[in-house]
Amino acid sequence: MPTVKLYANLRKLAGTKEVSITGATVEAVLNELVRQHPPVGDVIFENSHLRPHIVVTLNGHNIIELGTPVMEQDIIAIFPPIAGG
Amino acid sequence: MAGWSEKVLDIDLNTQTYKTYPLDMEMARLFIGGRGLGARLLWDMVGPEIDPLSPENVLIFTNGPLTGTGYQTSNRFSVTTKSPLTGTILDANSGGFWGMQFKKAGYDVMIVRGKSEKPVWIEIKNDVITFHDASELWGMRVFAIAQKLGQSNNKRNVLCIGPAGENLSRIASIMNDRERALARGGPGAVMGSKNLKAIVVEGKDRPAINDPERFKFLLYETRKLLAASPLTSQALPEFGTVVLMNIMNNIGALATRNHQQTQFEGAEAISGEELTEKYLVKNASCWACPIGCTRISKTEKVEGEGPEFESTWAFGAQCGIDDLPAIIEANALCNDLGLDTISAGSTIACAMELSEKGYMDSDLRFGRADQLAPTIEAMAYRTDIGSDLADGSLRLATKYSHPELSMSAKGMEFPAYDPRGMQGQGLLYATSNRGGCHMRGNMVGPEVLGLPKMIDRFQVQGKSSFVILHQNVSAAIDSLVLCKFTNMGVADEYFARILSTVTGIQYDTGEMTRVGERVWNLERLYNLREGFSRKDDTLPPRLLNDAPTDGPSQGWVVQLEPMLKEYYRGRGWDENGVPKPQKLEELKLAELLVRN
Repeated sequence: MPTVKLYANLRKLAGTKEVSITGATVEAVLNELVRQHPPVGDVIFENSHLRPHIVVTLNGHNIIELGTPVMEQDIIAIFPPIAGG
Repeated sequence: MAGWSEKVLDIDLNTQTYKTYPLDMEMARLFIGGRGLGARLLWDMVGPEIDPLSPENVLIFTNGPLTGTGYQTSNRFSVTTKSPLTGTILDANSGGFWGMQFKKAGYDVMIVRGKSEKPVWIEIKNDVITFHDASELWGMRVFAIAQKLGQSNNKRNVLCIGPAGENLSRIASIMNDRERALARGGPGAVMGSKNLKAIVVEGKDRPAINDPERFKFLLYETRKLLAASPLTSQALPEFGTVVLMNIMNNIGALATRNHQQTQFEGAEAISGEELTEKYLVKNASCWACPIGCTRISKTEKVEGEGPEFESTWAFGAQCGIDDLPAIIEANALCNDLGLDTISAGSTIACAMELSEKGYMDSDLRFGRADQLAPTIEAMAYRTDIGSDLADGSLRLATKYSHPELSMSAKGMEFPAYDPRGMQGQGLLYATSNRGGCHMRGNMVGPEVLGLPKMIDRFQVQGKSSFVILHQNVSAAIDSLVLCKFTNMGVADEYFARILSTVTGIQYDTGEMTRVGERVWNLERLYNLREGFSRKDDTLPPRLLNDAPTDGPSQGWVVQLEPMLKEYYRGRGWDENGVPKPQKLEELKLAELLVRN
């Protein structure tokens, strides 16, 4: 089952840093994540699309296409808007 | 003219005298203030024959036409000098309160020349300039000096050096308002070489604004824009800059153990989330800043500002250390001693690698948090092993016959981003006019965070145009002088509007970008005059030849050569990186070469 890692304020909203979620694509995993943790959905989605500045990576590579397939051992990381330097 | 005070304070430490004279306003129109104005003045004053640590080098403190007006983040100021670390032109800028106070004292520029026979500190109260004997202050640390000289954020502001600057460490910072730093490139050593311990400022005049009513409206509008942006209203205030730790690690671009790896297994333990949960006392802000990214953190031993992301990385991942309290304490110690945290941490990491490989006889080892504080102390006082480390990683690694282990460009240590996972950042480091630096543009926005939109971080072709744009915009913001975080909520074109409103001179967006390009090209001309050339626009062999063997950046090295060629063309420079005559004409810089 793919692992979803959450960062910054998403951890507080989900009550966890990490969760395992079933899904065949990145989009399916994110939808299930939001179903299980609705407050996360308010931060990452707007009208079913990712909000601006939400970064989603699959095994460390940026995901632009949410239909990208995921495998059992994959790690999806979700970052809310962050900045720094 | 509104915005500028139109006044230069020119101090000669040889004679402990000063004079004031009008600012050249045509120069101010072209270069604005801060970094740009400093570069233009340095061009005339310090040529290639002058050693950075000789009395003939100068310190040029500049603010900008927005400084002290109350516009959001209008607190910053710059120091420009020839760098004792790199030999290039150097501008370092800082926030806090001192810049605002200096502007209220009635000056746009302060030039400090010569060398005092004995330690001295200077007190500025508008037109009253007093030279004080600093013999009893010499040797004191920064926090004690700030207290002794009466640091009070909105009334009286102290800028000073610590023991590192006195001992001419080439990575010494100048500190202001206790814990703010003009950090990079060794300006603290230049101040130390002049026997100048501190400059204290009290000002009483608010700068004039050309159109106060419109200014009020723009203040209101900017407040709304910063509040509407999740970056400036939530991300930076809630987690500070250290929140970048996890994402850089996740994508395999977090330089680790002197850039031997690109991911750190201890990243979570030194992350912004961890800092916020366990060590954050409260947020703090610079003057006139509604963002408030500053952390006040506390361990059993220290309480104070920071650490920022780069400092946390330098003592953390770069040294293979996951002990956050030790990192917080190392950051505080550097502030107290007046050392640049990035260069200090990365130089220790370089020494750790030299030692582990048997090139250097020391017990420094990656992961040894207990070695941070004593090594930093030794660097500031040039004792024991510290004498080798006090002048940065390139001189250290060269002494031990392995200069390739210095993770630097032009001799300045890189910040946290490993450019093998961010091709644009590699080009940016190689071409930065002050050396390896993330404040001369930073590709973390488009290559990692999707700001303003995501581009492929491994892409090579076409990357130079993004780098050039970011470099020019950063030079323009540094010349206003504003905090670059403002740009995360307020678009570039807004800066032209606020500058026009304050000064009464009409700038459009194109003109602001052109100011940035003019500044960038002038800095390039300065470095060329110093003898730098195409061969210096490069990176350590590790980043060009050794690909990471695992992680998301596996198999990648920086593809510098094709990007550099494209970059020179995009800049209007020849194949050797020399600006072409028509480019200099276009930027109104050609006359400098004729006069030179």
